[in-house]
Amino acid sequence: MAQDNRLPPPHGLLIDRDKPVSFTFEGRRYEGFAGDTIASALAANGRWVLSRSFKYHRPRGVLTMAGQDGNSLVQLPGEPNVLADREPIAPDMAVTGQNYRGSLDRDRASVLGWFGKFMPVGFYYKAFYKPGNAFKFWERIIRAMTGLGRVDLTARPGYCDKAYGFCDVAVVGGGPAGMSAALQAAEAGAEVILVDENPALGGSLAYARFDGDRGRADALRADLAAQVAAHPGITVYADAVAQALFADNWLPVARGNRMYRIRARAVVAATGSMEQHAVFRNNDLPGVMMGSAAQRLIRLYGVKPGSRAVVVAANDDGYGVALDLAEAGVDIAAIVELRGKPGTGPMASAAVASGFRVLPGHGVKEARASRGHRHVTGIAVAPLDGDGKPTGPEERIACDLVCMSTGHAPNAPLIYHGGGALAYDGETAMFAIKSLPDHLFAAGSVNGRFNLDAVLADGRHAGRAAARDAGLDAGADSEALADREAANQSHAFPMFPHPGGKDFVDFDEDLQYADIVHATLEGYDDIQLLKRYSTVGMGPSQGRHSAVAAVRIAAKATGRPVNAVGTTTTRPPVGPLKFSHLAGRAFEPVRRTPMHHRHLEAGAQMMVAGPWMRPAWYGAPAERDTAIRREVRSVRENVGLIDVSTLSGLEIRGPDAAAFMDRMYTFAYRKQPVGRARYVLMTDETGVVIDDGVACRFHDRHYYVTATTGGVDGVYRTMLWHNAQWRLDVDVTNATAAWCGVNLAGPKSRAVLQRVCRDIDLSPGGFPYMGVRMGRVADIPCRVLRVGFVGELGYEIHAPADHGEALWDALLEAGRDFGNVPFGVEAQRLLRLEKGHIIVGQDTDGVATPHEAGLDWAVAGTKPYYVGKRATLIQKQAGITRRLVGFTTIDPNAPVPEECHLVVRGAEILGRVTSACRSETLGKVVGLAYVAPGQAEPGSRFDIKIQGGRIIEGEVVPLPFYDPGNRRQEM
Amino acid sequence: MKILNCPLNGPRNISEFVYGGEVTEMPDPNACSDAEWADYVLMENNTAGVIREWWYHAATAYWFVAERNTVTDEVVRTYPAGALFKERVAFGPPTEEGGR
Amino acid sequence: MADASTIRPADRPRRSYLYRVLEAGGANFMEINGAAVASDFGGTAGDELATARGMAIADLSPLSRIGCKGSGALDWARAHGVTIGGSNNTAHLQPGGELAARLADTEVVVLDGLKGTGALPHRIETEWSLDGADGCYLVNRQGANFWFMATGAHAPEMFAKICAVDLRQAKFPAGAIAQTPVARTNCIVIRADLGGVPAWHLLGDSASAEYQWGCLADAMGEFGGRPVGIDALRRLGARPE
Repeated sequence: MAQDNRLPPPHGLLIDRDKPVSFTFEGRRYEGFAGDTIASALAANGRWVLSRSFKYHRPRGVLTMAGQDGNSLVQLPGEPNVLADREPIAPDMAVTGQNYRGSLDRDRASVLGWFGKFMPVGFYYKAFYKPGNAFKFWERIIRAMTGLGRVDLTARPGYCDKAYGFCDVAVVGGGPAGMSAALQAAEAGAEVILVDENPALGGSLAYARFDGDRGRADALRADLAAQVAAHPGITVYADAVAQALFADNWLPVARGNRMYRIRARAVVAATGSMEQHAVFRNNDLPGVMMGSAAQRLIRLYGVKPGSRAVVVAANDDGYGVALDLAEAGVDIAAIVELRGKPGTGPMASAAVASGFRVLPGHGVKEARASRGHRHVTGIAVAPLDGDGKPTGPEERIACDLVCMSTGHAPNAPLIYHGGGALAYDGETAMFAIKSLPDHLFAAGSVNGRFNLDAVLADGRHAGRAAARDAGLDAGADSEALADREAANQSHAFPMFPHPGGKDFVDFDEDLQYADIVHATLEGYDDIQLLKRYSTVGMGPSQGRHSAVAAVRIAAKATGRPVNAVGTTTTRPPVGPLKFSHLAGRAFEPVRRTPMHHRHLEAGAQMMVAGPWMRPAWYGAPAERDTAIRREVRSVRENVGLIDVSTLSGLEIRGPDAAAFMDRMYTFAYRKQPVGRARYVLMTDETGVVIDDGVACRFHDRHYYVTATTGGVDGVYRTMLWHNAQWRLDVDVTNATAAWCGVNLAGPKSRAVLQRVCRDIDLSPGGFPYMGVRMGRVADIPCRVLRVGFVGELGYEIHAPADHGEALWDALLEAGRDFGNVPFGVEAQRLLRLEKGHIIVGQDTDGVATPHEAGLDWAVAGTKPYYVGKRATLIQKQAGITRRLVGFTTIDPNAPVPEECHLVVRGAEILGRVTSACRSETLGKVVGLAYVAPGQAEPGSRFDIKIQGGRIIEGEVVPLPFYDPGNRRQEM
Repeated sequence: MKILNCPLNGPRNISEFVYGGEVTEMPDPNACSDAEWADYVLMENNTAGVIREWWYHAATAYWFVAERNTVTDEVVRTYPAGALFKERVAFGPPTEEGGR
Repeated sequence: MADASTIRPADRPRRSYLYRVLEAGGANFMEINGAAVASDFGGTAGDELATARGMAIADLSPLSRIGCKGSGALDWARAHGVTIGGSNNTAHLQPGGELAARLADTEVVVLDGLKGTGALPHRIETEWSLDGADGCYLVNRQGANFWFMATGAHAPEMFAKICAVDLRQAKFPAGAIAQTPVARTNCIVIRADLGGVPAWHLLGDSASAEYQWGCLADAMGEFGGRPVGIDALRRLGARPE
């Protein structure tokens, strides 16, 4: 079959007949043209069944040709749930159906349709919830049957990125209203972005018929599109979906592999309306489609949608569809007019004049199908009785195409996102916009305008209003705004259940008329409840075609007005959106110290520390423990150096520097001598420990303060926040990245430093423990701090970051003869634990206070104020419930407790271990743990519950474990 | 994405900012009751209406004040913190507070 | 001055934060301010100039820059010969080709010119002392920040992929400053055209230099963007406006 259904030009606006494209569907090869979608190319070849329905596995085909339904979901090799009526065909694309057992055409699971009446709405909830474990059994079977498509876990996402877009006015929808709005706004001087989901501008002008003669729509489309293209103020984003409207006119727009985030001053929603299907038995058969779908096939893709058609009409558009079908060579068997008499507009008049058989006051009893339900073969109609129910003598009409033109619903997701409201209007039998948020304007059929002149005027009006809202001089409105005149567009056509069912309200979820009624009878009579219970509107098409019918049925079943049933709210995204769009390039900031590459060259295993990368140890992963032991030994016996650039630096300068320090930190700094360092401990107003470090006083009015790795941003922010209120004469600068640092530690560190530093007196008397100096190291201007985190003689050397690598190289070289080696974070953690130093965030938690953490020595209670003072005092009076202590295990060979192993007394939890390791230096297990206050004295014993529930005994020992007299660090 | 108008940098995406809580007055820490202090550090007023909030523009390390309607989420106006905090706050005699 | 072919960044104590990336990209270096600056990437002068007009990034990290911060910073800097604009977030060209970027009422950053003499930043550094500058405190912008330049007609489109501020020429005039995240890290962006070619200085966290350079390279790929050396920027700047 070689595109037997293809129509000659001018049909086929979007296809390029000079570019044939060959692809496969269900393993069979088909030919189409560039510009075809999967669905249009298959239709051109007479292939109508595209998918199987979710629950009953009924064959489904083209419904909207607009990407608005779930009937056209197909599988691509790397991607499930692709919209066949949107996805362009590509050479050798291998398309398959999904959700079937066996083959798409012979789905063994379609037997489920026979059991439909035993599977009412709520079936799963009711059938499987007792006995308690029944669902677990059934779940496996149900899960195997349900779900759409297959995810290819080996598929690699393509290159997806994001971009920001900026404009005065964003217009969504490139139909007659949208193009008019864009042109009008641009004329007023606005910078306009026009977003349209189709490859070519035009919207309904490209396929629909507005009056007896279609010539006007064609000319208008060409003219408006040319004006838009020529206007320098308009940028067109075609083939792009505005997925949402967020606060302050923020529009995420997906186009190809890019997600645009467009910020506009004002937005015009010219998003059109969606045709609504009629509800009758077998309305889901392939060959039963929206009138606009048939028009799209004909006009956009040059595909003849059938050979003999019945049009089910409840508005004048149905007559236009009949005219288009006839022009395309389709026989019109009948126009079944659900209204009492034929339409009177120009299209209806033209259709009547053409001699089409019109059956006014008739309704559809059912559509009939060939065996296997693979295509419609005819339709049974009957005159409507007084209630509007088809009850008269039935007439069967043979046909292979049923087109439904029975009403519209505004395509209004952006209006909902923006905070606007819609309500059902009984007069027009349509939902209509009731309110719009600031900066959002609606135009065209979404706004209830369908007459072409009214649509254009509405577009111009909205464009002008949006430009004015964006702050531009748009001039006065010169034309009167047309009224909403949707009365001829939608009709509250009666809906009745068929005794045999399969009269679908929601195709995605296979929900029939009776399902909606049942749900309301069970009490789920508000749309929000009805939706959740029956799942109406929860499938891929998100209620675009089921919402109106469902509320109307629910209203009728409960004898209430439609608006009493309520409306659902549409939420983002508007259409299918891939995770790769949301992820974009996933830029993940990573901070590297100036010595980063030296660590890599030395074979370091790097670890993440806040935003930074730090060397964990130097050596292969398999040699972790020996590497750490070697590094520890080197520091204890000789000398080692560690990159401490990630410790953060703050410069506190000004006449009030000391007062500021006294307020921000718990210790006292007023009398801290210049040239000395002092421990800093920061609490918040609730008295919780949030950071620590050292303060170096380099000048009466200058402190240089370190903060923990990753903690500085919060510390800096907190300092500035306090001083925004205190107004102290002090400047706080975050100098973290400006300085890098190397800690040279070990008994031979002085000897090493002496080789590269000649302008600082490094003698024990000239540069004592906790002294700070400025001087040159390896000819680099440095700040040198004699502080000890690891409990040995040591120097922390801070240098300008751009000199970091040179400093590192010089210190390594200077220490070569002394056994100097780099050591990593793991060795440092072990060394500091031996010395009993805490790490804020590891040995403290979100509620730990200085008294609990054993840091009361660093609290100066006599100061008039520091942040957290009052809370600390309150706790001091109330007493603490836990205390951090050093401990060892009674059994030296006991397993090492891990972080967060519990300290228990019987079934009572008293505390937990925060750090622990086996110290080679000390030959025993050492650790820090929170214990009950009564257990905190050295010698007290307590139980630790370790892995597997085993209890081991710990004993409180005084800190530090290593070198209690501090002789080594102060030598 | 909401826009916040920074007094220093102009209108920017709200993702550039850090929220700093409601602007509240600290009770005298040396004179208030425990309950008053606990109320200050732990409780939110949760006012329905226009409140003053702290906001921080991270790229410029700049704290400012926004008046926001918590019912409509409309930011009524923004201004530098100096408009509210004009004087040096003292907690004790200068001799005890060092430096000056 | 050493022969260009012998200049290696690692031979000097002060190094660009991404000298390895520049070396791997085929850069040749020249000495400025005691450090190696990428002068070109091996292409012809005409090629690099064309690239810089279209879309290019350059690393100026070794060039001098210094910040003055504090309640008296602007007054002190003005008293020491720096011309500072009247409003925040604007940059002012100095007679020697340097740029004074006013970041706030309390902060200004002085960027050396492409000649790289370092005279003005150096003078500020030597004339300043904590005792002698009331309310003005120096900030080591050289250590704190990388310094890149993005040039060319496509740069606004490139920036639009990683920066939420509209940096297009019509919306972000010469001398305008935006302090804002670029590829999720906080940066200072300054528009400072070179001889009629649109150009933007970019200063950000020095520890994120390699990350940021990678993001820029990724973002400019679709525009044929490439790194260029300071030679190309100087040639652009030498042309009349």
